[in-house]
Amino acid sequence: MKKLSIYLILFVLLVGISSQVMAITADEIINRRDKNEFVVSAYSEAKMIITNSGRKLVKEMRSWQEEGMALAEFTNPRDRGTKFLKRDDNLWMFFPEAEDVVKISGHMLEQGMMGSDFSYEDMLESDDLTDLYQFKLLGEEEVKGRTAYKLEGIKVPGKDVAYYRRIIWVDKDRFIGLKEELYAESGRLLKVAETLEVKEIEGRWYPVRSIMNNKLKKNTSTEFVLQKINFNPDLPEDIFSLERLR
Amino acid sequence: MFLLRLALRNLTRHKRRTLITGLIIAIAIFIYILTEGLMLGITELSFRNIINLESGHLQVMEQAYWEEREKMELDNLLSPEAELVDEIKNLPGFANMTKQLKFAANLNNGIDELPVSGIGIDLESFTNVFSLEKHLVSGKMPAPGKFQAVLGTKLAELMDLAVGDYIVLLVRTEEETFNTIDAEITGLYNSPHPTLNESTVYVPIEIAQNSLNVGNKFSHYVIRLTDRSYTAAARSALQAEITSNHAVYSWRDLSESVMTMAQTQSVETQVILAIILVIAAVGIVNTIILSALERMEELGMMKAMGMKKWEIIVSFMVEAAGIGIIGGIIGIAAGIIGIGIFNLSGGISLAAMGAEDLNYGLPIKGSIYAGWSNRSAIFVFVYGLVVSVLASYLPARWAARKDPVKSIYHR
Repeated sequence: MKKLSIYLILFVLLVGISSQVMAITADEIINRRDKNEFVVSAYSEAKMIITNSGRKLVKEMRSWQEEGMALAEFTNPRDRGTKFLKRDDNLWMFFPEAEDVVKISGHMLEQGMMGSDFSYEDMLESDDLTDLYQFKLLGEEEVKGRTAYKLEGIKVPGKDVAYYRRIIWVDKDRFIGLKEELYAESGRLLKVAETLEVKEIEGRWYPVRSIMNNKLKKNTSTEFVLQKINFNPDLPEDIFSLERLR
Repeated sequence: MFLLRLALRNLTRHKRRTLITGLIIAIAIFIYILTEGLMLGITELSFRNIINLESGHLQVMEQAYWEEREKMELDNLLSPEAELVDEIKNLPGFANMTKQLKFAANLNNGIDELPVSGIGIDLESFTNVFSLEKHLVSGKMPAPGKFQAVLGTKLAELMDLAVGDYIVLLVRTEEETFNTIDAEITGLYNSPHPTLNESTVYVPIEIAQNSLNVGNKFSHYVIRLTDRSYTAAARSALQAEITSNHAVYSWRDLSESVMTMAQTQSVETQVILAIILVIAAVGIVNTIILSALERMEELGMMKAMGMKKWEIIVSFMVEAAGIGIIGGIIGIAAGIIGIGIFNLSGGISLAAMGAEDLNYGLPIKGSIYAGWSNRSAIFVFVYGLVVSVLASYLPARWAARKDPVKSIYHR
């Protein structure tokens, strides 16, 4: 009996190792990308360049994040003091002028954050994409001079997700998302996100410049530029509390 | 009888003074009747527009849907039920019925995006219940099962759209997944209901059900009766028949905001009336004091001959009542004539007031006509009379308390 179980364990291990050597699955690619882009805790400074029909708006912010929590504070003169607090699936906003905290929920989640092409909902999106989508590896393609896996994810029936279908290109070596197309159930392309620049920071590859295009609107895009990021910084205590938001 | 005759004689002594005092009351009543008439006109028009374009006479839906109806979520929808349809068709005063599926959408023209209310309509029965088709200014209603839409001219103007253009409605399915309805605009309407013109897009119900993944479900049945007066009877008859989760709502429930506004306005009108009648009351006090001063010797003599204090008070009060009645009759007559002239000359056009494009939150547009209510007329007449009589009491008492000897020699 004991022998049998040892054989069994050995067998399972072997199968596991050989399949990894042989071919990587779609879910593994997504998980590796998410693991790579997932930040346990960080302090960052970034700017958002919102282009809408030729008009350009630049918004600057700094943010702190730790696992499911994040706090972002806008620093450009026009929005100075506006803060967002994300705690798992909840999002609050603080308006300095009204000195009021508002919970963003319902239809408000569909709106673009601070007028950008990133919706509040996009910000709240859960990281476990493989639970929500059935991923399929479509092949390999060249994206911006880099070889990338091309994957298609279709919503798992019964799951509440915003986008029915996603096409994702993941850098084959660095496991960084290079491009992502988000589709409606009707097949219409709604949004395209592209990574414009990747940098090696503290020993890991991290996207530092990306752009989101809302395909339902002409001539609008939002560029997100990460100017500084420190991984695992010392975060002030209770920084993610509602009290600190005010 | 003697007191009455005395009071009447006194009324006719100073015809001009009586008339002028009466006129103050008449003016108050006239203004009230006109304001109230205008309010009635607005409310009536609002109700008609709500019934003809938004609610029908009755709606049947899930109770839970009603509570959250503003959100237009896709929970608590109805499934087609033959039995329920039969019950509805047997209602007293039943004329027609249709079903609708309401949903929240973002209207997209390729440049801008605007949140709108989408309504999936059953085109075969829709026009039997609602009068929207009459308000089409160009094009035609969508064809059943086709990716077509109609929307208000105001919304089309805002989004720079015309008949033949394509729109994209971004919607969320029952599972919160984005979907789009790409529809051709087949018609534009300009209805007397501003909210509909600004923010409602109609598509065939089959298209809506398909795009929202709700199968053959819909949000509610809309019932049209042959006359508004059947509403209460039909509602209670249906409520008694249907199952626990369903509920019946009348156009009154659906026009809460109009009802509240009408109530607030009615309070406002009463306040105006009260203010004017206070002024009238001052006029009455003045008139009674003047006539008492004039008749000091008479009063003294009558008291000396045995007339009692209360009899003097009553004679003055009857005199005041006479002024009130004269004022009331003139006021109401003027009100009837005023409303007649106002309505014959075409009412007030909101466009002429520069308010055509304004949305007061009331479902009205075009011209407002004044209405007439017997109840308000009787109310204001009695109110004027009561104010006159009450206002005369204190000066009458003052006159009645005078010493007869001093009164006779008061000069």
